[in-house]
Amino acid sequence: MAPKYKFTYFDVRARGEPTRLLFAAAGVEYEDVRVRRDDWAALKPTMPMGQLPILEVDGVTLCQSMTIARFVARETGMDGKTKLERAQADAFVDELEDLVPKLAMAMIFTTDENEKAEKVKELDKAIAEKLGKCEKLSGPDGHLVGNSMLWCDLVLYNIAYDIEEVYKSGTLQDYPKLAKVYDTVRSDPRIAKWIAERPAGQFNI
Amino acid sequence: MPAYKLTYFNGRGTAEIVRLVFAAAGIEYEDVRIEKPEEQWPEFKPKTPMGQVPILEVDGTMLCQSNSIARYVAKVAGLAGKTPLDQARVDMIMDGMEDVGKKGNATHWEKDEEKKAEKKKEYEETFLPQFYTCLNKLVGDSGHFVGNELTLADITFFNTTDLVGRYFKLPSMDQFSGLKKVMDHVTSNPGIAKWLKERPETPF
Repeated sequence: MAPKYKFTYFDVRARGEPTRLLFAAAGVEYEDVRVRRDDWAALKPTMPMGQLPILEVDGVTLCQSMTIARFVARETGMDGKTKLERAQADAFVDELEDLVPKLAMAMIFTTDENEKAEKVKELDKAIAEKLGKCEKLSGPDGHLVGNSMLWCDLVLYNIAYDIEEVYKSGTLQDYPKLAKVYDTVRSDPRIAKWIAERPAGQFNI
Repeated sequence: MPAYKLTYFNGRGTAEIVRLVFAAAGIEYEDVRIEKPEEQWPEFKPKTPMGQVPILEVDGTMLCQSNSIARYVAKVAGLAGKTPLDQARVDMIMDGMEDVGKKGNATHWEKDEEKKAEKKKEYEETFLPQFYTCLNKLVGDSGHFVGNELTLADITFFNTTDLVGRYFKLPSMDQFSGLKKVMDHVTSNPGIAKWLKERPETPF
């Protein structure tokens, strides 16, 4: 029997990885469809808003990456325990998700040297601002909100992975509470297994 | 004393979606506007969770991030969608309209005059018509994006369109019969109609 969920995204982490991390953390099976860049043009007009990712479930096609992640978080009980907790988790995601395209542009997709230097400057500023705000608000015990791993922790983990492993290792030292969240997520056994086994992707982002 | 206190600058901006949801739901709230930002904002800013407004004070907590606040109020008011899947469908319309707003903003604030003219042309003549065509296809004939009743998705569509229309030339709604129905449903909701009549004229 086919899995209940079919997730389609590019062959990268970026905006799709929080959803994949959620499925992994919850031990929920899903179809992980990856679209190579060359195959995208033909597929684009068939998408609800001309973009990826999409999630197909119960005959409905959802789009918008954070909407999908929030929905899967809800399905897997990782969106928050109360309405207020859910809103607080949402707020962290709203603040952090802008970093994903900034990281991609600065690290991979800008080729002109001068433009790239500009983007790197912008990125450093955004990282300092946003991680600073989140550090101030984060819980002290390895969870951004409340006392359990929620989808906002996975969103932070995904961004922090790019920052620590690909962009500028050692950045998290300045943000000890966020560093705790990072460690809590990556030492979860199901997540650790996914990280070890997940495809490298078409780009390292 | 209302249970909800919304604080923002004296404008529509990113707070208006929250005000519209309160209006549609008929929920009373304190609509606080920072009248003298140069004086009051530097003092107030560090008290907010992320140094920004709008914020919503409820149950001794301060919520921030306009879309998170709007979604929370919509849930309380039963305007967020009935099932998790419906709620996700509402969310995706919100996110799509957020992209429309962000792109408009980036165009509006472009400093280079030539680049700005180019971006404005692309936004008005290519992006908006294409995106609204997508949305018109998504909404179908019911006059509501999700379910058969007013949700935050319809209100967000109205609000973003209304805000963007202040600075840019919108595609004509006549070619988008589905979207036109949504606009009519939103503007004729009694709470929203009242708010639209009474809300202050502000510079943004």
